[in-house]
Amino acid sequence: MTPDALLAIERLDVAYGEIQVLWEVDLEIARGEVVALLGPNGAGKTTLLRAVAGLLRPRAGRIVWDGAPLDGVPASRVVARGLALVPEGRRLFAGMTVAENLTMGAYRRTDGRAAVSADLEWVFELFPELAARRRQQAGALSGGEQQMCAIGRGLMTKPRLLMLDELSLGLSPVAVDRIVAMLAAAHRTRGMAMLIVEQDVRMALELARRAYILETGRITRGDEARRLIDDPRVKKAYLGL
Amino acid sequence: MLVQELLNAVLIGGIYAAIGIGFSLVYGVMNLLNLVHGAIIMLAGYVTYSLFARLGLDPFLSIPVTMGAFFVVGYGLQRFVINRILTASVFMSLILTYGIDLVIVNIVLLVWKTDLLAVTPSYAGASWAIGGLVVSKIRVAIFVVSAALTALMYVFLDGTRTGRAIRAAALDKEAAELVGVDTPGIYAVTYGLSSALAAAAGSMLATIYTLTPTLDGIYLGKAFVVAVLGGLGNITGAAVGGLVLSFAESLGVVVLGPSYQEIIGFGIFLVVLILRPYGLVGRRFYAEI
Ligand SMILES: Nc1ncnc2c1ncn2[C@@H]1O[C@H](COP(=O)(O)OP(=O)(O)OP(=O)(O)O)[C@@H](O)[C@H]1O
Ligand SMILES: [Mg+2]
Repeated sequence: MTPDALLAIERLDVAYGEIQVLWEVDLEIARGEVVALLGPNGAGKTTLLRAVAGLLRPRAGRIVWDGAPLDGVPASRVVARGLALVPEGRRLFAGMTVAENLTMGAYRRTDGRAAVSADLEWVFELFPELAARRRQQAGALSGGEQQMCAIGRGLMTKPRLLMLDELSLGLSPVAVDRIVAMLAAAHRTRGMAMLIVEQDVRMALELARRAYILETGRITRGDEARRLIDDPRVKKAYLGL
Repeated sequence: MLVQELLNAVLIGGIYAAIGIGFSLVYGVMNLLNLVHGAIIMLAGYVTYSLFARLGLDPFLSIPVTMGAFFVVGYGLQRFVINRILTASVFMSLILTYGIDLVIVNIVLLVWKTDLLAVTPSYAGASWAIGGLVVSKIRVAIFVVSAALTALMYVFLDGTRTGRAIRAAALDKEAAELVGVDTPGIYAVTYGLSSALAAAAGSMLATIYTLTPTLDGIYLGKAFVVAVLGGLGNITGAAVGGLVLSFAESLGVVVLGPSYQEIIGFGIFLVVLILRPYGLVGRRFYAEI
């Protein structure tokens, strides 16, 4: 383990009841680093993110966040420590307005109203689509706008690590390109680390410096993104080449 | 006669709404059919009686007392008891809340016995005569207080940080936790608020209906009907549901006679359940408040 890793996951086992889904997962993210987590359907990617976010209790292993253990900390407190998950399926508060959804992101913040409203304006600058619809119900947004709102809500928590689960799911390539460009811009200004789970492997490897491959619950590779792109096996399995 | 009945209906509708909103809120936020709701209304009535009979406290002045006390009781009940079984099956929560209801009924039997008790402040029978109509002062006061409390509840849910957290937890528990909402704590606050509204209703109802230890079932029935009429979990709907129920009951009394009052309420309830299970006031998003 690197001594100054932001997030270090060590030999993590996660199970749903009797059914074990993750086996001895090791994963590390440095401060400000962008990392991709790739793998086929059902490999356990979402399960891993949910365990880190505090929604699932691991069966064994350790999750170390900024030098301190994160095991057993409930989700509502994990986010206060600077880890945010933009969940699979977006999970917006459909009956609330866009502005309310974004404001909910700042629920646990203690750095004052001024900082929160400055961030809100920043998110609206980042996603002008949202600014135009700030009083609209989130459930009435298009798929792409919903994803922007979900990312915006995640950014409003002021994360040091932003975890994104399948942000491209169900979106047109144009919408994905736009969102990725905005995400890259957010990363440039804020410098937060990101963990990107994606089916759109090409996109993920473009954003990320390093990537892990998770297959049937085990990490089978971890390497520089450009090395993975050039790997024939990865090309065949994940890029359809 | 008809106009008089309709007037009474509007005035009672306010308190029906207040009862239904608390019940509906608890269902909408934590998916709990709270069978304790009627017992809280009843118990608050008895407490109001004792405050009045022993200390001479005006029933309307006892409202803040019962609201405060039952907020605390409700908060503790949810925090330390109901939260523990919330993830278990629906039957567990029905059994638990029914059990708590029985405990409260037995406390009432123990402390107040089965005597019929009435809260009778000096102005109990006072009324205004307006164009041939008799307008009971106490019922007007009850309507005003109920409407004010309902409006306050609405403003709280809509405009405060905690209110937003309650709505967020209702819409998506996990997503709420992911932004930092401590859902067990928010559930406790929600149950406390619901109990406080029920307590206010109980204090006021004690001035117009005689207290008996069987009121818990009657009030629970009303809360349930009102909440279903409005769409379970729908706060605005519950306000409408309260008025619809009181109108239906009054019309039933006028057209069919007093003995039909309860049947009318449950009849409408059944029809709504069959034809519009999401309530009279449709809602666009699941669990939208
Ligand atoms: N709540 C659950 N209860 C039981 N098993 C589950 C549950 N959620 C997921 N699983 C199982 O765990 C395994 C991993 O699921 P997970 O959702 O983490 O995979 P994933 O890599 O995110 O897949 P996808 O690419 O389809 O999103 C799957 O076999 C799945 O069936
Ligand atoms: Mg997944």
